[in-house]
Amino acid sequence: MLLDAIRPEISGTEPGRTAGAPPPARNAPAGQRGIAVTLRDLRKGFDGHAVIEGIDLHVPAGQFTAVVGRSGCGKSTLLRLILGLEAPSGGRIVLERPEGARRDPSRRIMFQEPRLLPWARVIDNVAVGLSGLGTRAERRARAAAALEEVGLADKAGQWPATLSGGQRQRVALARALVSGPGLLALDEPLGALDALTRIGMQDLIERIWRAQGFTALLVTHDVAEAVALADRILVVEAGRIALDLRVDVPRPRRRGDPDLAALEGRILEHLLGAHAA
Amino acid sequence: MANPAIPLAVGRPSAATTPAAPRRNGAASYLPPLREAGLHLVPWLLPVLALAGWQGAVSFGLVSNRFMPAPLDVARAGVAAASSGELWTNLGVSALRALAGFAVGGGIAFALGLANGLSRLSERLTDTSVQMVRNIPHLSLIPLVILWFGIGEGAKLFLVALGVFFPIYANTLHGIRSVDPGLVEMGHVYGMSRLELFRRVVLPGALPSIFVGLRYGLGIMWLTLIVAETISASSGLGYMAMQAREFMLVDVVVLAILIYAALGKLADALTRRLERVCLAWNPAYRSA
Repeated sequence: MLLDAIRPEISGTEPGRTAGAPPPARNAPAGQRGIAVTLRDLRKGFDGHAVIEGIDLHVPAGQFTAVVGRSGCGKSTLLRLILGLEAPSGGRIVLERPEGARRDPSRRIMFQEPRLLPWARVIDNVAVGLSGLGTRAERRARAAAALEEVGLADKAGQWPATLSGGQRQRVALARALVSGPGLLALDEPLGALDALTRIGMQDLIERIWRAQGFTALLVTHDVAEAVALADRILVVEAGRIALDLRVDVPRPRRRGDPDLAALEGRILEHLLGAHAA
Repeated sequence: MANPAIPLAVGRPSAATTPAAPRRNGAASYLPPLREAGLHLVPWLLPVLALAGWQGAVSFGLVSNRFMPAPLDVARAGVAAASSGELWTNLGVSALRALAGFAVGGGIAFALGLANGLSRLSERLTDTSVQMVRNIPHLSLIPLVILWFGIGEGAKLFLVALGVFFPIYANTLHGIRSVDPGLVEMGHVYGMSRLELFRRVVLPGALPSIFVGLRYGLGIMWLTLIVAETISASSGLGYMAMQAREFMLVDVVVLAILIYAALGKLADALTRRLERVCLAWNPAYRSA
């Protein structure tokens, strides 16, 4: 692949390779502008009730990490902490931008709902991702390119209300990626989509991630989705990381691959076993 | 919008073979021009029938025209008042009062609604007072207002502004409160400045509710003005009606009432037009 060909010359500049950190996954895309994330004894409580109870984690730049767990295990809170949407009660979050990058590390999130502005045309919704960057004409041009990438160039002038659920989520993806972020957090973004649309979206996310090389953090409770997309899967239980698994299946991955199915079975067993205990 | 063609087409089994039958969805744009024109006329059917019945009742002596003039008499009175210029002067005076009062009251209400929607401190400071004053019927202040302002323009402006204030204030505040917090959070994450957040997320989100307030406000604007002009004025439509009553000119009285109805309808139609432009993104407002 073309992307694999460019990888060696830039992999040397990859930052955040702290001691003991796992090496980047074999299939990792060009880590050109990914942000490495390091958590040190991260804690978060709401009204004295601990939700995150001391998490240590290093996510190398450009890695696709999935976080799975039961409802209420703290996985969404973990994501919101890394995004800066919540302030931690204790511990540290360190974001390392790639060497040579001038701007501050840019983080973007895709929510479970598309959260598009209903009163803005599709293209203007995408341009929201460029708030404060460049002139209006530049923003529109980049927004149009991002729409093209998610296959919705022909919907640029429409109102969000006229799109299907899957199309709206693709607009939200274009909005998240239009600024070229170093970290993309995905908070169960496909939860509300039907099975086929979902698979299409997973392929789209994987393709764009491979092309752009941002660090991806996917929170999901669909284990099959985590296994299909991620380099690494974290199982969170009661505010701690209970399991940290690598997915060494080469890309592009085939749905129904026996290795993936075995991994999925293992994770599910762990989740269900934890519940029974 | 109910389409009167639907029950007919569904009700008659034989209608399935007529060309009109497949248009079950009733979208007006699919109807042939003649039928479409017919649909636009439907809302006017009842007023026209009422007018004809009224004219008939007076012409055949069922109702004395001392108490209820025939529509033709009213029309004649209208022509006379219009050609003497008296109608236009009074109409202009009334419209100016209404709009000035609306602009002052509505402007303050909108500003305070925004302030209280955006700032907890501002709300804590003023909302309780506003809610207390709101429960006083503003027309009950007329005696006081006459004492303060006399019967000059100030009195009418004050009353209209006060009446218009509450619906616009309450709906602006409610609109801002009901903006989807998820969208506001999205705006934060995507680095919008406070001003941008307000202009691109909060204000458009509050707009449907603000329009509801606008329409209520316009209704109260006319109501207040009519009452104020009827009680104390030396010009304006209400004054014209009261003068006519002194001289038992029932046709002019009815003419004034009809003009109020027309003005109310005009204000409402303009707001609807504005709504359809400003809220084009909202499927609820897009189609007629």
